Amino acid sequence: MKSIKKLSWKNILAMLVGLFVMVYPLAGANSYMKHLFILFFIWSVVAASWNLLNGYAGINSLGNIGFMAIGGYASGILAKSLGLSPWISIPIGGIITCVLVTLFLGFPALRLSGIYIALLSLIFADSLPSILTQTREITGGAMGLHEIPGFIPHMEKIHAYYICFVFFLIAMFIIFRTIHSNTGLAFMALRDSENFATTLGVNRFRERLKVFAISSFLTGLAGGFYVHSLGDISPTTLGIEPFLLGIAMFELGGIGTFAGPILGAAVIVFGGEFLRLAGTLRLSLLGLLICLIILFFPGGIMQLISQAETFIRNRIKKRKPVEKVQPT
Amino acid sequence: MTSFLNAIISGLISGSLYAATALGLTIIYGVSRVFNFGHGVVAVMGAYLAWTILSAGGQLNMLLGILVSLVVLYIFGTLVYRFTINPLMKKPAWDISTVLFLLGGGILLENVLLQIFGPRVKSIPLLVEGNLKLGPVAIQLNDLFLIVIVLVGIVALNLFFKYTRLGQAMQSIAQSIPGAKVVGIDIERIFGLTFGLAFAVTGFSGVLLSTKYFLNPHIGWEWMVKGFVIVSFGGLGSTNGAIFAGLILGIVEAMVTLYIGAIWVWPIWFVIFMVVLLIRPQGILGGRL
Amino acid sequence: MLELNGVDGYYADLQVLRQVSLVVNSGEVVAMFGPNGHGKSTLLKTICGLHQASAGSIKFEGKEISSLPSHKIVEMGIAYIPEERHLFRDMTVMENLKMGAYNRRARPSTQQNLAFVLEVFPRLAERKDQLTSTLSGGESRMVAVARGLMSEPTLLMLDEPSIGLSPGMRHVVFESIAKINREKKITILIVEQEIRNALKLANRIYMLKKGQILFERSAADVNVEEIEKAYF
Repeated sequence: MKSIKKLSWKNILAMLVGLFVMVYPLAGANSYMKHLFILFFIWSVVAASWNLLNGYAGINSLGNIGFMAIGGYASGILAKSLGLSPWISIPIGGIITCVLVTLFLGFPALRLSGIYIALLSLIFADSLPSILTQTREITGGAMGLHEIPGFIPHMEKIHAYYICFVFFLIAMFIIFRTIHSNTGLAFMALRDSENFATTLGVNRFRERLKVFAISSFLTGLAGGFYVHSLGDISPTTLGIEPFLLGIAMFELGGIGTFAGPILGAAVIVFGGEFLRLAGTLRLSLLGLLICLIILFFPGGIMQLISQAETFIRNRIKKRKPVEKVQPT
Repeated sequence: MTSFLNAIISGLISGSLYAATALGLTIIYGVSRVFNFGHGVVAVMGAYLAWTILSAGGQLNMLLGILVSLVVLYIFGTLVYRFTINPLMKKPAWDISTVLFLLGGGILLENVLLQIFGPRVKSIPLLVEGNLKLGPVAIQLNDLFLIVIVLVGIVALNLFFKYTRLGQAMQSIAQSIPGAKVVGIDIERIFGLTFGLAFAVTGFSGVLLSTKYFLNPHIGWEWMVKGFVIVSFGGLGSTNGAIFAGLILGIVEAMVTLYIGAIWVWPIWFVIFMVVLLIRPQGILGGRL
Repeated sequence: MLELNGVDGYYADLQVLRQVSLVVNSGEVVAMFGPNGHGKSTLLKTICGLHQASAGSIKFEGKEISSLPSHKIVEMGIAYIPEERHLFRDMTVMENLKMGAYNRRARPSTQQNLAFVLEVFPRLAERKDQLTSTLSGGESRMVAVARGLMSEPTLLMLDEPSIGLSPGMRHVVFESIAKINREKKITILIVEQEIRNALKLANRIYMLKKGQILFERSAADVNVEEIEKAYF
């Protein structure tokens, strides 16, 4: 019974897309497209980790862009000044991010509720640019870090592409497992009824810390991959625009779903072209987009998909004659 | 000694202005439990509205500008509540959805203002000209005037909350929503009026701030962050707490600038904020609406 | 005066009220008994507009009120005293009472109503300038009832007014309710676990179990043991 896996159309589609992504660069994708895909892989991880925190664990953090910056800067600095290989500096960057965030956000978040976490995380992310400016010698201040070494000597876009793709797969796997693990179940239980869950022995604090750790670690890693794929990082990476883009990604995709952030990231990264065309109106459009999504499509694309699914299923049911099930 | 006195006075002035901006934030939170993450842009809108009227030229324009700003923002506030916040509050997780919505909306409006008015700073002329010399220190009459306005405003608010029907209703809701329902208060209607009032107050504070500091679409962000720190320090939902907190933090800011250096001002605000949130999120001062 | 017909109520997917039908006549005292968690509070909340019925009709003085918001229902003359009291904690007793007179209909008679409630609850007159957060359980219960009276109701609904009170305080509470009904002719619908005292007060009683009306009796025709047995 258990071995029969449900091959829904969604799974099939995902596998096909995955296959396409694997072969695309070999089939002659141009440099710009490869660049977009790299951004997509990295942003998907950021959005999905953010969603893990906000959508699943219900911790309203607004500062995840900051995690990305910490991981990116840490890895970049380590690689540039200490000459460490990215394969070492990126994980270290991830760990540093994880430790800093869990200390400054995770522990306080245990005592605070909802909105305070949002405020605290916003301030946390907001204060990073000033810290960066103050530590000009190490972090390059407003100019940022440049000429950050790639993963391998003489790295080309295509290498970065596949490396980031693999990172994307591994990160998504980790997130998927977390959602379906005891921790994930614990959060569902806490979400539905905190009192009941606590009596069952679910330790809210410990689970929250775990999710903070995983989410910040993965986001920090993503920052590291970002930095070594693109070669630069600067305080604008933490600016209002990436911040809004990040929010738009998981709002658009659907909070609290697994595929949602990935879809959202895809739309935002690949659709970002239109944003560029809008020029100075970019931010207004982003703000408007977020407002519209929250007002009218709070469930995001995933909600639309499931609504469409139900609609089509009902139509099919109406067409097919209802077969009588014979009792055995 | 003179520089110390000057710093105190300067701190009181800027503090009272910051406090004025925090009022709208604390009123909305106190009554509806919504955090207005679009607060900064509302203050800036108020300033731009007044500026627009002023630029049209003419005599009584300052007064007219302020009046227009108050009325337009009041209406805007009630509309924002009715068409966006109200529907969001009826759904689950409204506390975060309102935050994100107001954040997105704030950015939208900020950039629309940028399109309309451009990035170059504007200033609103002083309300009063001249200086007042008190021994070794000199105070700009305009600054004195601003402090007086803020004090009058605070007294007016206190009277409003204590003696008017609307004010009492707002206080009741702030203290117990079920209690307010039980005595027959129309919660949604009062929420709408609260948003209108808070937006008007915020816009007015933006006008005041713009007579002293330069105005551009992005300055609202800074006012808002300081507003949040003040509100957290002074007690969420306490207008008098916000004023005291504003004054204290204004003086702290001035002292820091004088003795440690202006570059440390922002970090100090953040440190204070983090400390307050970690130690006593409901606020250090506290009190009634 | 109050007529419920076939009222259903849900909390998410859980049905807490099933086809509840009852009548309260003008001037009566009606008591409702039943085990905890079986819908008594929900029923009161549904009547006064704090909770939405999913089916059925609720008529007050002939008018349908089941879809009216709570403030309109207070305006029409129903006052609800919740078990949790929900007082305005940073206000004094006097301020709470004055807020009770918020609705338009009750405003003009604020002074007379104040005099009346302070006569019914003399303890409150002594404490009138104290913050309600400093009051004892019994005193805050009194404030809750008094505040409800300030809205000039014709129907007063009380949810377990004597719960958690000392026997002496309970006695005062029931005496006051009797006085209110007698002198002001205010109709009373009271939910109680204190069966003995409530039975003495009531003209008629209802038994609500698992969200359904089990039976209705005239108070004279039933005794405490019968009611207690029905709990199981």
